[in-house]
Amino acid sequence: MTLEPGLLENVAVLIPLLPFAAFAVILAGSTYGDRFDLPATAFAIASVTASLLLSLVLLAELYTHPEIPTPFTAAEATWTAGGAAPELTFGLMVDPLSAVMAVIVTLVATLVLVFSLYYMNGEDESGLPRYYASMTLFTGSMLAFVFSDNLLMAFFFFELIGLCSYILIGFWYQTPSAASAAKKAFLVTRFGDYFFLVGVAFAFAAFGTLSFHGDTSLFTAAEAAIDAGDTVLGVDASTAVTLVALLVLGGVIGKSAQFPLHTWLPDAMEGPTPVSALIHAATMVAAGVYLVARTFELYALSPTAMLVVAYVGGFTALFAATMALVMDDIKQVLAYSTISQYGYMMLALGAGGYTAAVFHLANHAFFKALLFLGAGSVIIALHHKQDMWEMGGLRSRMPVTYWTFLAGALALAGIAPFSGFWSKDEALLAALTNAANEPLLLAPLALGVLAVPVTAFYTMRMHALTFHGEARSEAAEEAEEGGWPVYLPLGVLGALAVVSGFANAAPLGVKELSGFLGASDLYGYAATHLGYADAFTVNYALLVVALALAFAGAIAGYLLYRDADEPLKRRFDPVTEALERRYYLDGAQTRFAEDGVLEGSRWVNRFDVDVVDGLVDAVSTTALQSGDALRRVQTGVVRDYAAVIAFSVVVLALLVGLLGGWI
Amino acid sequence: MVPPSYYVLLSALIFAIGLYGVLTRRNAVVILMCVELMLNAANLNIVAFAAYLGDVTGQILVLFALAIAAAEVAVGLGIFILVYREYGTVDVTLPRGMRW
Repeated sequence: MTLEPGLLENVAVLIPLLPFAAFAVILAGSTYGDRFDLPATAFAIASVTASLLLSLVLLAELYTHPEIPTPFTAAEATWTAGGAAPELTFGLMVDPLSAVMAVIVTLVATLVLVFSLYYMNGEDESGLPRYYASMTLFTGSMLAFVFSDNLLMAFFFFELIGLCSYILIGFWYQTPSAASAAKKAFLVTRFGDYFFLVGVAFAFAAFGTLSFHGDTSLFTAAEAAIDAGDTVLGVDASTAVTLVALLVLGGVIGKSAQFPLHTWLPDAMEGPTPVSALIHAATMVAAGVYLVARTFELYALSPTAMLVVAYVGGFTALFAATMALVMDDIKQVLAYSTISQYGYMMLALGAGGYTAAVFHLANHAFFKALLFLGAGSVIIALHHKQDMWEMGGLRSRMPVTYWTFLAGALALAGIAPFSGFWSKDEALLAALTNAANEPLLLAPLALGVLAVPVTAFYTMRMHALTFHGEARSEAAEEAEEGGWPVYLPLGVLGALAVVSGFANAAPLGVKELSGFLGASDLYGYAATHLGYADAFTVNYALLVVALALAFAGAIAGYLLYRDADEPLKRRFDPVTEALERRYYLDGAQTRFAEDGVLEGSRWVNRFDVDVVDGLVDAVSTTALQSGDALRRVQTGVVRDYAAVIAFSVVVLALLVGLLGGWI
Repeated sequence: MVPPSYYVLLSALIFAIGLYGVLTRRNAVVILMCVELMLNAANLNIVAFAAYLGDVTGQILVLFALAIAAAEVAVGLGIFILVYREYGTVDVTLPRGMRW
């Protein structure tokens, strides 16, 4: 199948537009209240499915026709025309990366919406139009973000994604904890976005362009400035690039829940489980890593920024994985595993492993959506119980969920040949290869390798606790699986968790994704600017070590928890307490907000009330009181006025006489 | 011809008498008459200087002043009638409502 180039642009425009249109329709229809439940569901699923089909067409076209010049833009529009200031434009940028990401987003969104039929409609939730309107807006914003062709447009939709996650995490806003979690997610990510915004402004001021492509892109401008040794805004160009990269990274750390701004994500589990699946797999959290991949050419200009990305990623991968070890809530385990897995992607990007990061992003999207939907299936079957100690023995009662969840778990644990194994190995390979060129990468590499057995352990612990052993509650004894809205998404995602790794199974010689993304150009770019390797060759020693570690962790987790009926962690009290308290970081941040920021604000408020308002009040009080005293002059007796006038005239006459020298 | 200093002295005397009356009397009508005295003292001055300088402008000015004074008296007397209706007298020390 071949499409006219103009037609392909229309396809690209429609992909984000359809969910936005569905959002508008559902919003308008939601005035009908509950009667609009069914149309809202239909509009949401139809629009996102159509977007999925269009994304598949786009991907297929780009894949089968490498001769189509990419990136190309669609619906380019000028926002502020030139003149004295540089021009700002909006447009959709189509290239292999955005095409791949669009498929990931729409596929996961479609399956999540289908699953919502079971999780939301099936449970007779109220406010369904609101739910589906938010979900379509969320998907549309993410797609528009994916296709953004400049940093400012990316920032706009980045913010919209944050807003939608706020609405959806707080879907059950009557529950105080959900409302609080929504606020926390909004504020913590906004804290990071603040840096992002400053970064956008800084980049625009320094280089005069924010575009992602073409001859006048931000990357070429920055590269040229560095090569010419220019000074921009009072600092030399390479420092400016590092600053921009680190400021943008602030937004990434917030959205992708990297240390130290990861604390919002576990709380975000208060939202409905399909929302968690969408946030973790395809939209909110993925946006951060995607942004780094999109602006990879900017990061590759700054060795410092690359190292920061790698260190943040490596540390977060291990840090979050350890906390997942002790969580009792199945969604909390998945939340920490998400943070940890995005850490791997950051590690890969920082180490120059562009393909590895995108590859892991895709694989993770599929298996994490699978795990969340599997968890959602279990949660509904157990009537909204999430504590794994009240589960157990679900293997025979929920076979479809069991087998698909197992596929997702093995992918997450990094067991060959499931998808996570291939991409995680590539991430570690990137760090190992470039550690030869940049020894400072050894530490993130070590952290990443250490996280492998930990990940496998908590994954299999979760799986064993949920599905194996004896049923530990009445609900678990009577659990029943849902119908096709459960089987279809789980089946599709389960299949993908098994096969999606073969898209780029480098040890088997398959490098389809890498070739499609044109990653070798970027490797060359990184080699020029950072001295990184310009190609990655498979290291079988690393492969075997990682796989062995994963197997060891997985088997230990399975054996220890297969028949467990009480939490084993009680044996290691001081350590587990630190882990359960999330390294005291949540508490510290709350204290920082309450004792630091709030107390500081009180002081500022006191200054405002006492000093500033005091001065203003003093002025008005003086005027009022002197007026009060002076008005007594008005006695109302006409003779007094006559006397004052006569007396004043005499005084005036005397004054004039004296000063005039006439007397 | 009478020298202007006589007129000025007479006018100052009449003005002082009028001012004294305004400041000391309670009856509004008497005060109004005293005000007329002060006004006419000024008129006398103007006429005297006009005659002395041989300029007729001053005399015309006084004619206007007389006409306006007559109108002003009408307004003043109207107010007094209202005051009388309210208080039963035209004592100017009694109305004290027009103050803070």
